[in-house]
Amino acid sequence: MKKESSLDEGKAFCEKPVDFIKELRSTPIKEHGVIDLLGIAAFFLVITPLLSTHRITDFMIFCIFAMSFDLLYGYMGRLSFGHLLFLGTGAYCSGLFIKYISGNPLLAILVGIAVAGLLGMLLGLIVVRTTGACFALINLAFNHIGFFLVLSPLRKITRGEDGFGVSVSKLGFLNFNSGAIMFGFVLLCLLLVFYFLKRLTSSPYGIMIRSIKEDETRVRFLGYNTYLYKWLTFVLAGAIAGLAGGLTALNYHYVNPNVMDVNSNVGVVFACLIGGAGNLYGALIGGVTYMIISNFLPLYIHRWEMFLGLSLLIITFRFRKGVWGYIQSSIEYFIRRKSFFRSV
Amino acid sequence: MIYTIVYGFSIGAILYFISIGLSLTFGTMRVINFAHTLTYTIGVYALVSLVAFLKGYFVPAAILAVMVVIPISYVIERFIIRRLYGESLDYTFIATFAITLIGVDAIKWIWGVNPYPMSDPIGKYLMFGGLSFPIYRILIVVIAILLFIALNLFFKRTIVGKIVVAALEDKDGVRCLGINVDKYFSIVFVLGSALAGMGGVLYAPIGSIYPYMGLSILLLSFAVVIVGGMGNLNGTFLSAFALGMVMSITARYWSQGAETMVFIVMAIVLIFRPIDI
Repeated sequence: MKKESSLDEGKAFCEKPVDFIKELRSTPIKEHGVIDLLGIAAFFLVITPLLSTHRITDFMIFCIFAMSFDLLYGYMGRLSFGHLLFLGTGAYCSGLFIKYISGNPLLAILVGIAVAGLLGMLLGLIVVRTTGACFALINLAFNHIGFFLVLSPLRKITRGEDGFGVSVSKLGFLNFNSGAIMFGFVLLCLLLVFYFLKRLTSSPYGIMIRSIKEDETRVRFLGYNTYLYKWLTFVLAGAIAGLAGGLTALNYHYVNPNVMDVNSNVGVVFACLIGGAGNLYGALIGGVTYMIISNFLPLYIHRWEMFLGLSLLIITFRFRKGVWGYIQSSIEYFIRRKSFFRSV
Repeated sequence: MIYTIVYGFSIGAILYFISIGLSLTFGTMRVINFAHTLTYTIGVYALVSLVAFLKGYFVPAAILAVMVVIPISYVIERFIIRRLYGESLDYTFIATFAITLIGVDAIKWIWGVNPYPMSDPIGKYLMFGGLSFPIYRILIVVIAILLFIALNLFFKRTIVGKIVVAALEDKDGVRCLGINVDKYFSIVFVLGSALAGMGGVLYAPIGSIYPYMGLSILLLSFAVVIVGGMGNLNGTFLSAFALGMVMSITARYWSQGAETMVFIVMAIVLIFRPIDI
């Protein structure tokens, strides 16, 4: 389903429609990104024995969320301070679906994605018109409204502050109560999302949203309807965050309003920046780094918020490209030096 | 109902104190200052310590607390905000948020996480036609109106104020006249922070004191600034009181919904009048 929509968008938005299937067949396997996917899977499998399976599952869910945020912030240049709203919506809708309608986990996740996507479609109509600070603030306001809604007026359904438990029924051999199956499923979702976003961001559509980041007015002068692209990106980012939310609900067997706490939004911004915004590997590295910091640093350093603040300041002033940016530029540097020595 | 109006006015007055600085910093420097209400929180905590130190004299403690805020805000301006002029909004946003994180954590370090109680320093009521109003709240409203008049005079009559107003309109134009705009910006920043500190000092006796108090009121004052127009001084005054009234009236009928109502108003305003920044 995901691959198809990527193809459709690629076709619809390209001036000269490229036959993606032909291209996919003709390109060598290296460029399909299979090696990347294997590498990512291997990375997570290698670090699992060092930490616990449950923790790594949590890390991967956060990575999915960080990638959806990166699509919005890194690729399209719209900083949102309320992206957790979509994660929370996904988590609540999946959880409520399991609690009240059926225990089928796959359906629940689909419901989470669909509702978060729908919410994105609705809010996107308003939000996407703004840029810069307004975009960040209006998202923050909506996140606040959402947090308030689950906390107080919908108290009878969502149980307010206490949250509610989510117990999943077995689905054939897929028993989501076991850690290993959950780990595998989340890893599969992560790889799917990564592949989907990788295709998407290197398609003409991806070039379009990156040009919107650079100079939106100019893109509009070229005759493109930038509003539509921004809206689509917002919806997609919302839907993927909804997927992360659904997985969160399944992983914790529990949903409470903390999943969309307004003040936690800084975490994902930090993750994207430290990894290097505008790159999927950056989002992955940043997600893992942030999760390691927030999970283990409080054990050793009592004032970890101060540490987070200081490192954010250092990133903004000295380290804007992030970890991945530095890796990339040093690789380029080495390649250039090699070719230089050869020519000498 | 009359109580609701008086409460609405006093909330509006506090919002005015805080958002005027935010509006000015945004209008002149194009910096969204997330750290703005940090000075508000610092003012409150300084007041807590000073009242204990001065054995309950409220007025000198309040004045000293506002004084404490001034050097701190100057340091923030000099070393962080000044580097962010002309940067993209995202980075200013993140950097100032980082300052807030550091500041709040420092407050937690020094004063602890538990909320402090504080009582109304006047504690008397004004009896009027069978109704009683707390004098303190009325005093806040009076101070806010006086401040509004004083600020208007400052911006219309003094040369510093005139330069700031001109810079709100056209920063480069003022710079072309050979005026060092950055110096005036730093004056405006310190002024705004001191006013936020004053708002905190005045609010402390009628509200609750905890380290994250700045973050919750920051969102409200952003709403005030957006509704009133960025850098629009009269608009900020009107929208602060209007939103204070919205909060107070909502709280009367639906007490948990007060803050959310403000955001709904802000969203509606943004839908009909998006600001391009």
